[in-house]
Amino acid sequence: MKAYSVQELDSFFKSLESHYDVCVPVRRRDGTRALGAPADGPLTLAGGPVPNKITSVFFPQMEVVLTASSDRLATPSPLARPVFVVGLTAQDADCLEFIDRFFATGFPDSVYLRRRQDSVVMCVSGRCGADGQSLKIAGGKCDLELICDGDKYLLAAYTDAGNAQLDKIHGGTETPAASLADLEKESNALPNEDFEMIQAASALLLKNKVPDEFWQKVSDRCIACTSCNLACPSCTCFDMFDREGADGEVERWRLWDSCQLDGFMREASGHNPMGKQEVRTRRRIHHRLAADVSKWGHVTCYLCGRCDEVCPSGIGMKSVCREMLQQYGSA
Amino acid sequence: MKTVLTTCPYCGTGCCFYLVVADDGRLAGVEPSREHPVAAGRMCVKGWNAFHFVNHPDRLTQPLIRKNGKLEPASWDEALDLIVSKLGSIQAEHGNDAAAFFASAKMTNEENYLMMKLARAVFKTNNIDHCARLCHSSTVVGLAGTFGSGAMTNSISCVEEADCILVTGSNTTEQHPLIGSRIIRNVIENGAKLIVADNRKIRLAAFADLHIRWKNGTDVAFLNGIMNVIIAEGLEDKEFVATRTENYEELKKVVAGYPPEKAAEICGITAQEIIDTARMFAGAHKAMIIYSMGITQHTHGVDNVKSCANLVMLTGNLGRPGTGVNPLRGQNNVQGACDVGALANVYTGYQSVTDAAARAKFEKAWGVENLPGNVGLTITTAINAAADGKLKALYVAGENPMMSDPDQNHVRKALENLEFLVVQDIFPTPTSEFAHVVLPAASFAEKDGTFTSTERRVQRVRKAIEPVGQSRADWEIFCDLAKRAGYSGMQYGSASEIMEEIASVTPIYGGITFERVDEVGLQWPCRTKDDPGTPILHIGKFSRGLGLFSPAEYKPSAELPDSEYPFVLSTGRCYFHFHTGTMTRRSRTLNREERFPYVEISPEDAKELGIRDREQIHVGTRRGELQCMARVTDVAKKGVLFMPFHFDEAPANLLTINALDPVAKIPEYKVCAARIRRSS
Repeated sequence: MKAYSVQELDSFFKSLESHYDVCVPVRRRDGTRALGAPADGPLTLAGGPVPNKITSVFFPQMEVVLTASSDRLATPSPLARPVFVVGLTAQDADCLEFIDRFFATGFPDSVYLRRRQDSVVMCVSGRCGADGQSLKIAGGKCDLELICDGDKYLLAAYTDAGNAQLDKIHGGTETPAASLADLEKESNALPNEDFEMIQAASALLLKNKVPDEFWQKVSDRCIACTSCNLACPSCTCFDMFDREGADGEVERWRLWDSCQLDGFMREASGHNPMGKQEVRTRRRIHHRLAADVSKWGHVTCYLCGRCDEVCPSGIGMKSVCREMLQQYGSA
Repeated sequence: MKTVLTTCPYCGTGCCFYLVVADDGRLAGVEPSREHPVAAGRMCVKGWNAFHFVNHPDRLTQPLIRKNGKLEPASWDEALDLIVSKLGSIQAEHGNDAAAFFASAKMTNEENYLMMKLARAVFKTNNIDHCARLCHSSTVVGLAGTFGSGAMTNSISCVEEADCILVTGSNTTEQHPLIGSRIIRNVIENGAKLIVADNRKIRLAAFADLHIRWKNGTDVAFLNGIMNVIIAEGLEDKEFVATRTENYEELKKVVAGYPPEKAAEICGITAQEIIDTARMFAGAHKAMIIYSMGITQHTHGVDNVKSCANLVMLTGNLGRPGTGVNPLRGQNNVQGACDVGALANVYTGYQSVTDAAARAKFEKAWGVENLPGNVGLTITTAINAAADGKLKALYVAGENPMMSDPDQNHVRKALENLEFLVVQDIFPTPTSEFAHVVLPAASFAEKDGTFTSTERRVQRVRKAIEPVGQSRADWEIFCDLAKRAGYSGMQYGSASEIMEEIASVTPIYGGITFERVDEVGLQWPCRTKDDPGTPILHIGKFSRGLGLFSPAEYKPSAELPDSEYPFVLSTGRCYFHFHTGTMTRRSRTLNREERFPYVEISPEDAKELGIRDREQIHVGTRRGELQCMARVTDVAKKGVLFMPFHFDEAPANLLTINALDPVAKIPEYKVCAARIRRSS
């Protein structure tokens, strides 16, 4: 196995641009670390999860899903270049696996699958988290993985699509197998407190141990900004609307939606079965930790922490679960 | 796909975010800026949707000229030449002050500066104003009079440092969400005390130690009552009062007339509530007032602002982190539009037009002679003058007086009376229906410039996409007009060059350049190129030297309820919409959330009148009557109605009263007498 420097990886990503729409973690002009094209700023692999909804590369905030003119309907053409995305954490990879399943189950979402087709997903893990923390190794949940040994990045390929990239990267130094084994050991030893917490919170909800007063108090703090949903890589809800251009052609768009808004579930009459904020707040948590357990067999929060980072009033998933367990955990 | 860092076009909080541009050159989303000092990676619902209206098919894409009663497409040459010739002929016949210019808090600093320069240097009139007249003109006057500087004294970050926050007349979580959420966090995480003085049960009331549901318009009596208790109980900051202020004896004399029992009777609350408020506020080491339109939009708006200033001076809460008088500006660049002189009485940096030295300075800088020395017409007095037939021409850029000004029938009469109306905007509006010329402007996403936020932070606006259709940036339009009018002193290669000129004539912006504000902006005063800016004003000394106690007597609102019109009607904004709705009502998610005009009514009143939630009802005042949906909610206090002014199908300003503060000329949007009836 070879290890690569950031410079070598940077050259590699830039060399891919003729074939792929490359998205890598970059440092933008105001210091914000985010996914972008290699030209958008210096490559910044270290730092943990990027703040963006990581799945936005396959499910953007707003996109055309259909075009209609007087004589034809057209769906979007295939991407000119498939997506090559770098910077997912192990949790992000788990989440992507879930929304792949979600969009492919039942009525397959061709618009999502179009962007996902032929894409290459590269995780980043090891000794490169925020504040010196280590990141869990994703293993086979992605095509490629960069595992940081504190200096360089060991490159692992797990799929055919991943292996196909290996001969395109130049440089690198051979590393002893023991290096990876050490990193794997370190990864396996990482604390699992958040996972245990979310499972305990899920159990509380499934046992119906959390009363309405709790949701009332949490929802008092909700300013309906919708950030929790719009930053969540697991959230897949969208709204649809049409726009007619000057030439009479109509574009049908989809746009990220939020279950924290009144209009999300409002009936045509104006009545809303989820017309109160406390009901919507409860749903946000309950959906991921209880309803999805029944439907998919597992919790669908992947503990990436993005909703906690973006929530202006401190009621992201982890914060709410902590409060829930503090108040009702012994029940 | 590319991303461009810019500043939000909605409220005055001044959050920066990245616009996402799709490969087809249209906007496709936003991404938070985690490193921005105010946003810190967060956004409100309007921020998340701020891109959506930009590529809406309703955008104005070409100039229009009224021909045979109908607005028809025209070339830029034709439209601009017509404007110059019509303004010229009207001024030649009726005098320079027969024309007026409305600038806009939605335009950049550079654009407001140039519209001001166009009005003053080219068309030789001080009839230039903008919508600060309708929201915080009482703040500008009131705080300039007491402190010497009419702006938020502290920074947004100070909200997290206060021990006690008095929020009055500000629905902060809805109108400045990222400031409101800081209040919530400070209360929950640090145990700060919160006093909400507002008769609506706003979200913040759920966290308040004291929620004072006073009668609308009794602010002065309430604040005087608090100061009466503070002085009576010896809770004032004696050292601050002695060393930093003047006119204290006059304050004592006036507030002595407001013992808590008397003040409580005027306010419709208990004496104990006044006493508790006084003790809580005066007992804190770091206390601040946050206020907004609930304080300013009254016929006694200036008195309200001065009373807020009196209270913080009395308790020594100025010039330190976590303190201050903090008016929250409602629009992205309403602070900046004031700073760069889009006001009837001042040039940039609040330099008075009546000061001969200031006039001479600007005459020299602009290369012109005979700048007018009279204070010009304001938005409100210009509309009155048009209704009276005295004002003949009006140039409105980025404003919508038909929806935003009080008493719509009066505004309609004024606009119909005009010989010539120019409207420059990004969308058609109820105002542009009256226009003789309509000019298509570029949106915030299509131009470069700066906005100044409520905390006096000058920040960059960046061009992300090309202007739609033939639309042009407002500053380019103003430069073209000046050139056609024969003035050569308004030609610039970029917005940055305009800021260089602003800095050269404006001491408080002296150190501002595009380069220096590139990433996180700078807070004025920023006088030199190495000045780091001023997060907190009045440290050690007020801008005017000593703080001037400016006591006021309580004066009732202009129109109080009576047997014929038994309700108080108050107007304002709701969370999902912004002002006259031109942008938010064209944003899918935002318009879905609030689709219909509505009026808030208390459950008690609804029960008494047999009104059900979501039922259509009629709301009427002495100005007119309209139909909208009843929203029965305990947010509303018995006897008080609240109606947002975003909806042109039921415009709240059909109902409001054209009664003005005598000094600031701000309308009394917060109190008028109304009645309601079931529609069916």
